[in-house]
Amino acid sequence: MSSDHADDIRNFCIIAHIDHGKSTLADRLLQATNTVDARDMVEQVLDSMDLERERGITIKAQAVRMSYTAADGQVYQLNLIDTPGHVDFSYEVSRSLAACEGALLIVDATQGIQAQTLANVYLAMGHDLEIIPVVNKIDLDIAEPERVSLEVQQAFGFNADEVHMVSAKSGQGIDELLQSIVDRVPSPKGESDSPLRALIFDSKYDPYKGVVAYVRVLDGEVSSRGKIRVMSADKESEILEVGYFQPGPTKSTSLKRGEVGYVATGLKSVGDAPVGDTLTMAARPASEPLTGYETLKPMVFAGLYPADGEEYLALREALEKLQLNDAALTFTPESSLALGTGFRCGFLGLLHMDIVQERLEREYDVDLLATSPSVAYNILLTDGSEIEIESPAKLPQPQRIEDYREPWLDLSIITPAAYIGPIMELVQTRRGIFNKMEYLQYGNSIVGAGDGGDARVLLEYEVPLAEVLMDFYDQLKAKTSGYASMDYSFSGYRSGDLVKLDILVAGEPVDALSIMIHRSEAARQGRALVDKLKELIPRQMFEVPIQAAIGNRIIARENIRALRKNVLAKCYGGDVSRKRKLLEKQAEGKKRMKRVGTVEIPQEAFLSILKVER
Amino acid sequence: MFSAPSIALYIHIPFCETKCPYCDFNTYSQIEPLMPGYVVALIREIELWGDLLNHPTVRTVFFGGGTPSYLPSQDISQIMQSANRSFKIETEAEVTLESNPGDFTSDKLTTYLESGINRLSIGVQTFDDQLLGVLGRRHTAQDAVDAYRMAQDAGFDNISIDLMYGLPDQTLEGWKSTLKKALELQPPHISMYCLTLEEGTPFEAWVRLGKMSDPNPDLAADMYEATQDTMRDAGYRHYEISNWALEGLESRHNLIYWRTEPYIGVGPGAHSYLGDTRFANLKQPREYISRLTNAADGKFDLDNVNLDDLKMIIDIVPVVDTTEHIDRRLAMAETLMMGLRLDDGISIPDFNARFNQTPNEAYESIIADLTNLGLLKTSNDRLFLTPRGRILGNEVFSRFFE
Ligand SMILES: Nc1nc2c(ncn2[C@@H]2O[C@H](COP(=O)(O)OP(=O)(O)OP(=O)(O)O)[C@@H](O)[C@H]2O)c(=O)[nH]1
Ligand code: SF4
Ligand SMILES: [Mg+2]
Repeated sequence: MSSDHADDIRNFCIIAHIDHGKSTLADRLLQATNTVDARDMVEQVLDSMDLERERGITIKAQAVRMSYTAADGQVYQLNLIDTPGHVDFSYEVSRSLAACEGALLIVDATQGIQAQTLANVYLAMGHDLEIIPVVNKIDLDIAEPERVSLEVQQAFGFNADEVHMVSAKSGQGIDELLQSIVDRVPSPKGESDSPLRALIFDSKYDPYKGVVAYVRVLDGEVSSRGKIRVMSADKESEILEVGYFQPGPTKSTSLKRGEVGYVATGLKSVGDAPVGDTLTMAARPASEPLTGYETLKPMVFAGLYPADGEEYLALREALEKLQLNDAALTFTPESSLALGTGFRCGFLGLLHMDIVQERLEREYDVDLLATSPSVAYNILLTDGSEIEIESPAKLPQPQRIEDYREPWLDLSIITPAAYIGPIMELVQTRRGIFNKMEYLQYGNSIVGAGDGGDARVLLEYEVPLAEVLMDFYDQLKAKTSGYASMDYSFSGYRSGDLVKLDILVAGEPVDALSIMIHRSEAARQGRALVDKLKELIPRQMFEVPIQAAIGNRIIARENIRALRKNVLAKCYGGDVSRKRKLLEKQAEGKKRMKRVGTVEIPQEAFLSILKVER
Repeated sequence: MFSAPSIALYIHIPFCETKCPYCDFNTYSQIEPLMPGYVVALIREIELWGDLLNHPTVRTVFFGGGTPSYLPSQDISQIMQSANRSFKIETEAEVTLESNPGDFTSDKLTTYLESGINRLSIGVQTFDDQLLGVLGRRHTAQDAVDAYRMAQDAGFDNISIDLMYGLPDQTLEGWKSTLKKALELQPPHISMYCLTLEEGTPFEAWVRLGKMSDPNPDLAADMYEATQDTMRDAGYRHYEISNWALEGLESRHNLIYWRTEPYIGVGPGAHSYLGDTRFANLKQPREYISRLTNAADGKFDLDNVNLDDLKMIIDIVPVVDTTEHIDRRLAMAETLMMGLRLDDGISIPDFNARFNQTPNEAYESIIADLTNLGLLKTSNDRLFLTPRGRILGNEVFSRFFE
């Protein structure tokens, strides 16, 4: 029989739509198992990054080990992985799933099933996980636990007694849930006597310990001594430390079959121990690695430039360091006439982009200028070859282009039926294709109240990513009083009637302002951009025309009239310092502007494209 | 002894009958009961400075505010007496007092003359009664004319008036007519300021909240240009961006600021510039009075003070709040910022003598740039703004602070 305790281990993750209470539920589990002292307890204790705490969202999955004494007196090792809910970070969910045998599916009792609930359930089913449905927030007055429970039963085929009713806030139902985890989540399988195979499901760079791989041991055992080998990356290194999280890192002598923990490898780059790879012992290696993950492909690209051109190297260093902990981030050097030298960066989505920007500015103290985000295009050239373009500025001459292909998404939206009309309209203006509409039902009745308008509907569309990027989510929320939720996944490239829209300031094209756009939208968008820039670019000492053009054809134009007067009227009482400070401020403002030809363009102008109303 | 050269003396009077909604000067209404104590404190500060600097020569005195004419004229007279005890005020010194049109009586004016005041600056602002209302002024256009005549009759021949343009809903025609009325008085000196919306003032808030129309900068530019033409035809010299004077009647006090020469400011919030240090007094009148009154009954023990040391000197003055070291680089930029406001600009040899470097050596590419843009010109050993540079002055000045 096995020399380990795998039978007493339960590995599970917590999945849900954003904000349904995963991290709060984790808090209660940590408390109920005495993993965290009452005096160390804070809300969403696993959200340890400043950004997570400020925004109240989970960005990175977190693994933590708990010790639980079940009703029969048996002590179990529970390994919990809390996951992020936002669609940008769904890859974190996928990875976590691969390290578990079970999943707690949290559904907010005030909201019911939302788009990411569905998406996450499908992922969990794909990994063959035991799913334990949990209806949360039952303490709230507006909660409808019964209705939501029925919805969950119907949608995913559970029996009423399988659905847990809890309040992650008050702790109600937590003990029963823990018992269920022990009873229902299978113990880990695998071979304890085989050579080590541990799946790297996450990693982090630590300046003292090198790459710290977060692993789930499938077969064998990893001890705190010896040489580790990263199988696919083919790297070896002396182990510095092994341990687990409680939730702080806790050293141990080994990690055995079925256990979740970390291995400090001393490796210098996360690329040496990539997420999805398999760790084995160099002395007694396994023959086959585990099936890893699909490598992540960034979906959204934007130029990141140092606001102060002299900070280029600092930015590069910051990106390199950040990438150590964020494998989804890509960057390649890029230069722009308007913005100087910077990087074309790839992100999973706009939230990811936003977070990267904020971390760079905050943790690495670089002042950034980000260009308007775009998708990657697949361009078929007239000579038959294909190229991938991550920036509109990099497009070849139109005569060399045979076909433009852009990324499309499968988009699902869950909404009360009353908003179907406005959503259909919205998706249509975004070139979306309607696929399917389905009422979320249970028995013979439709979920929601009887009057039809409250019934909830799943809508499925195909839509170009570029159309969803900007303000689609905001619009969706606005048009449905916040009731609709959405989820999407990349489906493939399709050809589209796209054009490159250039912006010329004082006759000079500003490369960083070029965008790709569907031909039917070009005129409207060109006008909107020109108007917006007119608002944002301060008057200069001469008249400045602003034009939008497709190729040589100008499709919109505005003039910024010349600045006529700018002089401080008065200096009173000898307060020269005050006057000087005003001028210093003006000079400082100018320094932060970007010069295109003779025109000073404020940094906001480069972001304005993001905010142009459609 | 720190050798103070001849200086200018600024005397701040932080009282106004009402506070105008566009004004962000350090001045207050409803604190009239502080006036007597204030005069005592102010005199102490003046005398302290006289002792600390060993009674230097004063070339100009300027009572500013606030509204100096709102203070009883006997107080002005006392303050002048103390200034005369403390400094060697030149016999030919220019001594200016700022005033509001409604405040004059012939007795008051006589007292001023007897105290040594020889120049009046009258805050007329506009000859449009409706706009005077918008500005929250308490006088009418007729009051302004009457005040001017009264001052002339009392014997003042050096009178300046202050006007404002670029006011909310003011038209070009309206401004021209104000200017015409001003010129009918044939004042030797006129200051004309474009309204600026200062942060924290009611005007700024009203405009921000849409309760008042935003002054149109292009219209203000039209007004400024019209003003330049009219004033030239009327025989005035446009000697500084916002100031016009008949030949020889320029404000000598303000010239000292523009030429970055030394000055001492007394009173709350007043600024001084001595050697390489600029410093400012605390702003609160109450605190100002109490610090000067409490300090050893007004007697300062100067025996142990090294009067060669400017820093020590400043430390003795109980109301100095902030000091700023103006290093050579800053002094050069400030000299340009201030000096270029004058029509004849900067004397290159003087600049060179002071900084051991010509402006061109210090700011070669910037000056070349500004010259190319048609904003700056060099000729006859002087560096000065072109007419276009004048109206875009900040575009020029800010370059020296890059
Ligand atoms: N009243 C009540 N509020 C809850 C409960 N559970 C969570 N919340 C609140 O719901 C909000 C979201 O909770 P989180 O635990 O951060 O949700 P999450 O699912 O981890 O969110 P993401 O990680 O961003 O997807 C917080 O304001 C919680 O305080 C509950 O049982 N009752
Ligand atoms: S009278 Fe002059 S100093 Fe007093 S509040 Fe009005 S503008 Fe300001
Ligand atoms: Mg969370």
